[in-house]
Amino acid sequence: MIHFFLSAWRAGLRSRSIQGVLLLGVVLVGVAFLSASFSPRQPKTVALDVGLSGIRLSLVLLALFWIQELVANEIQRRTVLFALTYPVPRAYFIVGRYLAIIALTALAAAMLGMLLWVAILNAGGGYQQGFAIAPGIAYWSSVVGLWVDAAVVAAFALWIASLSTVVMLPLALGLAFAFAGKSLGAVAQYLTEAAGSDATATQFAPIVEQLHWILPDLSRLDWRAWPMYSVEPAPEAVLAAVVMATAYVALMLGLAALAFGNRQFE
Amino acid sequence: MTRYNRATGTLFVLSLLALFGASAQWLKTTERQDVAVEMQVALPRSVQVAVAGGDRHLAANIAAIRALWVDTSKMQPEQFSVLARVQEDVAWLNAAHEDNYYAAAAILPWSGELDAAQRILQAATLARRFDYQPPFYYAFNQLHFRHDPIGASRMLQDAAPFLPDPDEQLQMQNLAAIWLERAEDPDLAIRVIESLAKQATRRDFRKYLEMRAARLRSLQGLQSASETYRKRFGRELQSLDSLVEAGLISVLPADPFGFGYELAADGKVILRNSPVRKK
Repeated sequence: MIHFFLSAWRAGLRSRSIQGVLLLGVVLVGVAFLSASFSPRQPKTVALDVGLSGIRLSLVLLALFWIQELVANEIQRRTVLFALTYPVPRAYFIVGRYLAIIALTALAAAMLGMLLWVAILNAGGGYQQGFAIAPGIAYWSSVVGLWVDAAVVAAFALWIASLSTVVMLPLALGLAFAFAGKSLGAVAQYLTEAAGSDATATQFAPIVEQLHWILPDLSRLDWRAWPMYSVEPAPEAVLAAVVMATAYVALMLGLAALAFGNRQFE
Repeated sequence: MTRYNRATGTLFVLSLLALFGASAQWLKTTERQDVAVEMQVALPRSVQVAVAGGDRHLAANIAAIRALWVDTSKMQPEQFSVLARVQEDVAWLNAAHEDNYYAAAAILPWSGELDAAQRILQAATLARRFDYQPPFYYAFNQLHFRHDPIGASRMLQDAAPFLPDPDEQLQMQNLAAIWLERAEDPDLAIRVIESLAKQATRRDFRKYLEMRAARLRSLQGLQSASETYRKRFGRELQSLDSLVEAGLISVLPADPFGFGYELAADGKVILRNSPVRKK
């Protein structure tokens, strides 16, 4: 398994499209820095807020591109067949690749996280905010939350890649999944509030409620209120979100291993 | 390609070029549509979340930037109702947004959007228990606009225990007691607006708030002169000009917003023509 991990790790670092996405991340951190100038009272908070949104987008894109490059394209080009000649179960390939991709994503999260922090420290000029942002564990917990979010999206895309014959499908469905998972919290809240007064909301609220059985609520992995407003998330809410995410990742890896194990390569 | 085809092709390209040139000139002569770039639409919340890729914090920031950077001095009354909706959306997306509640407190209640301002400030109070300002502005609005000192005092009392600083807790409880007696005090309103203006980093916005304070100061002067008039002549004031004629003021003060002042049915001097929300 370590072999699959290392080969993916090296390929991931070398890949050009990934460097492009990483560059996008750097640009987004730059946008976060500039966004501070739009805030009269809390420039650093707004820079942090926009920057974390940028990191989240970059991490999801990076994870999906890596799934695309290191799994979907290998299956498409049939180079995966060389990997499968090793006398190990096929599931090792899936798990090894996945671990490499989330390790690469963690590296990107650490790099973009440090870059954003430097940008925030310099954002807003010399203006002293009434309420300072919280550095240290509060900030890095939020970055870790975004990384877990990207890991869940990557696991879903990996499952799609394990059974798809269309090469772009993991990327496209992965993006749709990331969007739906992230929106779920806001949509559910909106429908719950509007239910009763709005007929359409009353009709859709139970459907969205059922969605929680198949779609993880990725917005619960967003703990940015902690560094932004020093509002600590409830420990049980963090624990529940992490357990939910881990269970979903394990489920997706299991499904991917099953699909990949039974897949016929011609 | 034959010579004939080449000539036809060249002619075709030249005629397209001529068409483009003529249409570009024609376009120059037609009048540009004059779109007021201030607040005209508020997108549904679901659309805002979708545009931000599902990220409600990003959606909140986009809407807040839009709300913060409009030029309020050029806005029409109906645009304030759109601004109120946009700001309420920001509060729904991220109730703790500091710029949003500050701008809402500074603009909306003074522009006929009191209900929206109170909802935004209430949401900010719950989301920012460490911050004394949202409950303070909420209570002020309750006192000044709704003439509800009991509601104002209750808000201050409810918010006080959550404040992290014991001194702030005491001050807020003290205010809760004092404000019970000060429902219609223009001096209090002037000081609240001046404190908002002091915190404004944008020069034009600070100027806007200072104009509001100046307007209230003029109102305060007129109300005081009207009171003197009543005492001196033993009757209610019939028109503002009577104050000048009686020598109580030299000229009627100019309203920086151009609306002016008028007499209410009970003879009290009030601000004229605050934009009224259209139902």
